[in-house]
Amino acid sequence: MPNVIRDLADTSSYWAAVWSMCAMPDVHVICDAPIGCFNLVATAIPDYTDAVPHIENITPSVIREEEVGGTGTGPAVQRTYEGLRDEGLLEGKHLIVVSTAESEMIGSDLSDLVTKLQPGTTFFHSESLTDDEWRGRDRVMQWLWENYGADKADGIDVEPGLVNIIGPTYGCFNAPSDLHEIRRTIEAVGGRVNMVYPYESMLGNTANLAKAQVNIVLHQEYGYTLAETLGQPWLYAPIGMQATTEFVLKLGELLGTTEQAKAFIKQEKRTTLQAVWDLWRGPQGDWFSTATVGISATKTYAEGLKAYLGDELGMPIDFVASRPGGMGNEEVRQRIHKKAPAFLYGSINERIYLSEAGAKQTAFMPAAFPGAVVCRAVGTPYMGYRGTVYIIQEIVNRLYDTLFNFLPVDEAYNRVRNGVANNGAATNGIEIGNMPWQSEAKALLDEALENVPYLSRISASRELQFKVESYAHQQGVEEVTPEIAAAALGLPERSQ
Amino acid sequence: MSEGKQGKPCQLHPQSMCPAFGSLRILSRIEGSHPVMATDTGCLYGLTFVTHFYGARKSILAAHLGTDELMSGEVVESTIAAIEVAAKEPDCKLIPVVSLCVAETAGMPEEMLPKKMGDAEVVLVRVPAYAIHSHPEAKDIALAALLRRLGDESRPRDNKTVALVGEVFPADPLAIDALLRKMGVEATITLPGRSLHDLRRARSVGAVAPLHPFYKETSALFRSWNVPVVGGAPVGATGTYAWLKSIGTLLGLDPKLVEEVASEERATAEAIMQANPLEGKVFVTGYEGTETAYARLLVEAGAVVPYISTSIGSEPLTLPDESWLRARGTQEVVYRKSLEEDVAALDKYQPDLVLGTTPFASIAKERGIPAMYFTNQLASRPFFLSGGMAATLGFIKQTLDRGSRYQWMQDFFSDEDKEETAPVEPSHA
Repeated sequence: MPNVIRDLADTSSYWAAVWSMCAMPDVHVICDAPIGCFNLVATAIPDYTDAVPHIENITPSVIREEEVGGTGTGPAVQRTYEGLRDEGLLEGKHLIVVSTAESEMIGSDLSDLVTKLQPGTTFFHSESLTDDEWRGRDRVMQWLWENYGADKADGIDVEPGLVNIIGPTYGCFNAPSDLHEIRRTIEAVGGRVNMVYPYESMLGNTANLAKAQVNIVLHQEYGYTLAETLGQPWLYAPIGMQATTEFVLKLGELLGTTEQAKAFIKQEKRTTLQAVWDLWRGPQGDWFSTATVGISATKTYAEGLKAYLGDELGMPIDFVASRPGGMGNEEVRQRIHKKAPAFLYGSINERIYLSEAGAKQTAFMPAAFPGAVVCRAVGTPYMGYRGTVYIIQEIVNRLYDTLFNFLPVDEAYNRVRNGVANNGAATNGIEIGNMPWQSEAKALLDEALENVPYLSRISASRELQFKVESYAHQQGVEEVTPEIAAAALGLPERSQ
Repeated sequence: MSEGKQGKPCQLHPQSMCPAFGSLRILSRIEGSHPVMATDTGCLYGLTFVTHFYGARKSILAAHLGTDELMSGEVVESTIAAIEVAAKEPDCKLIPVVSLCVAETAGMPEEMLPKKMGDAEVVLVRVPAYAIHSHPEAKDIALAALLRRLGDESRPRDNKTVALVGEVFPADPLAIDALLRKMGVEATITLPGRSLHDLRRARSVGAVAPLHPFYKETSALFRSWNVPVVGGAPVGATGTYAWLKSIGTLLGLDPKLVEEVASEERATAEAIMQANPLEGKVFVTGYEGTETAYARLLVEAGAVVPYISTSIGSEPLTLPDESWLRARGTQEVVYRKSLEEDVAALDKYQPDLVLGTTPFASIAKERGIPAMYFTNQLASRPFFLSGGMAATLGFIKQTLDRGSRYQWMQDFFSDEDKEETAPVEPSHA
């Protein structure tokens, strides 16, 4: 049975190449693409992942029927190049031609053609038919180093105290905040940030990566191959209090600034982290042990949130779907349909599954792309010590929302809004809320409540009780039987 | 931007949403429809993303098409596997198979796909971006594919019914329906909509009225069913009057009654425009294929529209609006446009307001010119008849009046040295 994809969450290596290369302003990419592959990667999606109106330093070859039907894409790429050159758009730029799934499909290899374009032009075969965005980003960064850095790096010495941050690129969830917090952490430990590659770098300066004493790989999904190649010690960026503490100590050890690292931890406990300590000691912390969590995100965020929320705060973890790999959307969807957790960290896909399940009691927390979410403020980190505070603050605020939503509102306002004259009209004068329940019917109500997040059960129990009793009333019965309860609650038929 | 040899700007960045999205959007919005995509993962990611933003909260299934499947001819086998999963969704009645660039290049023989799976009709929709070129045209292809399969031949002709064709603001068809009923029309249906039933019964209507000019295949299909096609659209005072009269003629309605309703509606529209005349130079430069109709309304209300551009090609259905506009001061109407053409026009005509694509609207805003994304702000507002006209014109007027906001923002940000593509104003080591 062939694999079937449900709501693909990880894009292709072509996107990875564009989103990595185009982050550097001295690059211009010609994507060997039909109009759609250009529009989606350069405008339609970065509008909503990175909040940029469009990526300017990319131009498509615009594959049409004639290219697919026989001429190949060489002449179209040549034409595009000439247009860009004549408009002066390539001055001071490194030109890179990138393959797409469609150009690969028609076997278009432009390795020779690029040698006839502007000197130094390169061709990146993105392997878009086989590789996902994470392998793609890892590979493209290594390729950029090999083609634009390695040769010039021979005479460059390592400077003590300098640290590179490898990642992010475009299309990485929450990147500005997490980058900001990791930079703060590095500087607090006594390091100086050398390059943030590729996000804040120039391609022409790639060789300077060799200067750093330590490399920090921002995301676990990519960048490790480049970090290994650079040959200096490297660390992944941390999520959670324990991971951040270990990170700070290890970085201090590598930079020879252990005392400064220890002092930073001590100071953070008195300042930044005091919020976690206060919420833990306060009444808010008491909710954690009953508020369940589901997580579906890339490995960095999935494992980081599991460690912080599950291991450190003691929240019950319903499931963790870590990408790439992991349990996959088919299973995630089934789990959410069956029983949605109180908090669901995920992408728009999980949000759709919540909508399908009618799971209104679940608080959705964005933790991954795809999905439209602006993450440009630097005050919303998931990483580092400030990340632990932001995450816990959001959880508690959503718990407050839940509490607010189950405080009763006087029903009269609802009736006025809906143009219903008086109380009697809504229920024909019969008091819903006081019917007798057979014990098996009550058991069914309890069973239905089991599927509602703990904190929402008080209001849900009232809501479900009213729903069943209204249905019983419509059916003309005066007592709630198991059959009535099952029908009203949408439970499967019970054998008598 | 310099101009090329023929005095035309070099066309480097064509402007359209991925063409396939037009089809996926309408296919995902139908109740009981569970689309299956046949494409590569990059395309699938992008299209699923925009569908979940603009289409429907609907899970999207796809065949797994990697190098192995594409090169060893397993495209159909993989697609059928996804169709089988789709058929198990609750109340699944329709499985559109959206076949895109790599699947079309590898080959997707229709005869090898099932016609039905469970209770669901399986309908192949071929929309490779290399052949379609714009997303409005992909809507037409998808709608025509659905009608061709689902259109019910056995239903008797309802001579007094009209099918309105075009994705419009939900209140617009209600207003059109109410007016047409006053003239003696018995019912209208709107396509593409959310109902499969409407697709089935569409074949029996007395006339079809494409509200947008790119429904070429759909119009041809109705003609092949001997259903007459109404030209134009109920836009502005003169356009609405002509459209209502032409429906009256095609359906054989009482001419006196039709004239009464049509001239009353024209009078209402004229009164609205006279009460709130527009002043200013406006560009209509979206990629929705509906740009000329919007331009027509703005011109009638008093605006100057020197430049119009769109993603669709020039077709017989687009010609009436184009001639009308050229006779009233429009200098250029550009089909299959590129960003470079829009920018050249910006230099040339200096508009007061730009209704454009996101890249072009952002360029206009960088110059302090009021601008907005046509798709989000215009295509999603009431537009037709006098009521829609009032809503759209009111919005345009309000935006023109907000010019100083755009100027202030530009002034505020213009004293910075900005890098070309700076995600967070980085230092660029």
